[in-house]
Amino acid sequence: MKKTLSAILGATLLSAPMAYASDWPTRPLTMVIGFNPGGSTDIQGRVLANVMEEFLGQPVNVVNQPGGGSAVAFTRLKNTTPDGYTFLFGGTTALTFTPIITPVEYEIDDFEYLAAVAIGQNAIVTSAEQPFSTFDEIVEYGRENPMTYAQQTPLDEAIIMAIAEQEGLDLAIVPTGGGGGMAPLVLGREVDFAYSGGTHAQYTPTGEMVVAAFMSAERSPFYPDVPTLMELGYDYSIEDYRTIIVPQGVPDEVKERLIAAAEFASESEAFINITEGNTFFPVVFIGQEEMEENVRRIRAATEEVMAN
Amino acid sequence: MDFSAVGAAASEALTLASFIGIGGGVLLGYVVGVIPGLSRSVAISIAIPMTFYMSPFIAISFLIGLSKGTAAGSAVSAILLNAPGEASSAATSLDGYPLAKQGKPKTALQVGLIASVLGDILATIILIFVAIPFARVALLFGPYEMAAILAFALVFIAGLSGGNIFKGLAAGGLGIFLGTIGLDNQTGLPRLTFGYTELMDGMPLIAVAIGTLALSEMFIQSEKLRYDRENMSVALKKDSSDRITWPIFKNILPTILRGTGVGTFVGALPGLGPSVGSFMSYGMAQKAAKDPETFGKGNPKGIAAAESADNAVIPAALIPLFGLGIPGNVSAALLIGAFAIHGITVGPLLLRDNPELLYSIFAGMILASVIMLVLGWYGLMVFAQITRVPPHVVIPIVIFFCLAGMMLQGYGTFGLVILMAFALLGYLMKKYDYSFVTFLVAFIITPMLELNLRQSIILSRGNWEILLGRPIAMFFIACTAIALIALIIRTFRKEKPLADAPAD
Repeated sequence: MKKTLSAILGATLLSAPMAYASDWPTRPLTMVIGFNPGGSTDIQGRVLANVMEEFLGQPVNVVNQPGGGSAVAFTRLKNTTPDGYTFLFGGTTALTFTPIITPVEYEIDDFEYLAAVAIGQNAIVTSAEQPFSTFDEIVEYGRENPMTYAQQTPLDEAIIMAIAEQEGLDLAIVPTGGGGGMAPLVLGREVDFAYSGGTHAQYTPTGEMVVAAFMSAERSPFYPDVPTLMELGYDYSIEDYRTIIVPQGVPDEVKERLIAAAEFASESEAFINITEGNTFFPVVFIGQEEMEENVRRIRAATEEVMAN
Repeated sequence: MDFSAVGAAASEALTLASFIGIGGGVLLGYVVGVIPGLSRSVAISIAIPMTFYMSPFIAISFLIGLSKGTAAGSAVSAILLNAPGEASSAATSLDGYPLAKQGKPKTALQVGLIASVLGDILATIILIFVAIPFARVALLFGPYEMAAILAFALVFIAGLSGGNIFKGLAAGGLGIFLGTIGLDNQTGLPRLTFGYTELMDGMPLIAVAIGTLALSEMFIQSEKLRYDRENMSVALKKDSSDRITWPIFKNILPTILRGTGVGTFVGALPGLGPSVGSFMSYGMAQKAAKDPETFGKGNPKGIAAAESADNAVIPAALIPLFGLGIPGNVSAALLIGAFAIHGITVGPLLLRDNPELLYSIFAGMILASVIMLVLGWYGLMVFAQITRVPPHVVIPIVIFFCLAGMMLQGYGTFGLVILMAFALLGYLMKKYDYSFVTFLVAFIITPMLELNLRQSIILSRGNWEILLGRPIAMFFIACTAIALIALIIRTFRKEKPLADAPAD
């Protein structure tokens, strides 16, 4: 009896490190979302958690830690044990942009960027009832008339300010407090045009809102005819990737499992349907190497824009 | 009206999950209402964290069911204990307790219940028919109108909540000050966060609400324990003649209809709480009666008038909430927070973009009234027993829920420290008679007011003349000025406030 017990014990001890990679995870995981429930990050994250659960064989629980555009969640994530059981899903602007203007307690190098599964959408929108509908028409109108613009972040404000200066527009810029506050201002024509980080998906299908241009680096597959600012000759873009992020120091085998789960999710029908169908975000799969590079490149470009 | 959305809403409201959610809300509200000292806003602030795991529809219906339940439940303690579970049921005890003493406790309870349920259903129907066209008109409101209405609501609520303009200014000013904490919504720079990442999105609403409303109230209650009088609950006996009869019902029906009208009117105006509604309705019923001298001596009409108005206020307070996104009282302000937690912006766009959700909530509200009738009718005996639960059992349970609710927010120890600070603040405000209602409403309204005011100033490019083309904004600015002047005059004349608007 005693012999068998010690044999089993020995076997377990010996086999534990070897079985680690394929057995991980052995307990439930936590997905942190830096926004309130109901927003696009939350909707995508919850579906992603379900699909990852299918792949990893352990429950993935979603926890919302809203505040400061994810700054609160990143601060906490930095201080969690880097065992891969707690990871964050969300956009990268809290790293590429927030630290430039706000003193935060984390930096890009505190985290690892395992995989991006969707591309953030940054649009310039206007009401269908305005006398202009393309970005060129807005600029043309603005050369003759004073105009108003509704911002959501200091970054989109900085870009529009730079363009206004370049084109000689007389522009008043108002804050909106998010996409929910932007929509009534645009639809009620209280402002001439506005920034939208995804809210337009609700109003363009009804024909009330028009996307004049994209601030993203590439055109959206859902609005193939709408050009980007880059294509229009303005050297500005806002890039954002919905990424799986862990604190620095997670073991390689664990990272591999999480990346494999993300790749599995990016091919899953449920995830694609919700992300592309409901929120109009294109689903992609971008691996760690490219994402690490992306985050640092975007940060440098953003610092340049904000410095002006 | 979009009939496919109505059909979908009805079917969503009739699922098992919604029955459990809404029924649970009403039941919980009933119990809270019965226990003296536990008020509606206390219950809502504690219950919001419980809704994190529900769908938005069930969450909101649960909270509205909870409000309705407290309004009906508070009649039980008003009638049996002569200690209203809510300030708004104080008018109910005027006739309810005498009637119970006369050996008709069950009749009194049934009259109260029927009046509550009828007032509730009728006011909900009025809400449905008023809110929808109102939301259409409200779409025309821009930042100028919103800023003017918010300023008006703030001054009006301050005026109703306390007599002294200086104490009102102090409470409101503190609320405004705390409401400006957090990231500036244009530049994104932190204001008054003292380096705490947790404060970037402002002082957590749940901490402020649970602290000043619920936890501080428990401190006050435990203090009162020392002077606790003995329990004088009227016991229900088996007596077949003690029940509501058809003649009694016919007799009180006109009173119920009038009470519903008064309650709906009062509820739709920002700042007037259910207490104003129920006392106003009681007064009108007495004036209209052929036998005004029997009021206060156990006249069922007195109960019916107070209870129908008390319950009608709750759905009516949702008219400005759904139409404009402006809270009429503290409970409605807490509902805005609950909507925000579920990622929904309340306001005129809610009807346009989420009609199914709004219709589902309406359907859920009607369902809540029906559940209330069934629960109240068959559960009278059980609820009557709750009036006997001693406060030294209730208080620790409530404190536990306050702390647990805060922990669910995910702020960790930081949240508990903030919660305790606000509990202390609320305790001192209640002790020294500063209106914590003004404080809370100012705190909740400030971010909206700031945003709309900033938008107005920037969009108008500082030009006042733009207001001439905005008659609605002009009207509310004039109202604000009048309310402010009236408040100043009243302070110097040392008149009594219009009503002791309680925390509902």
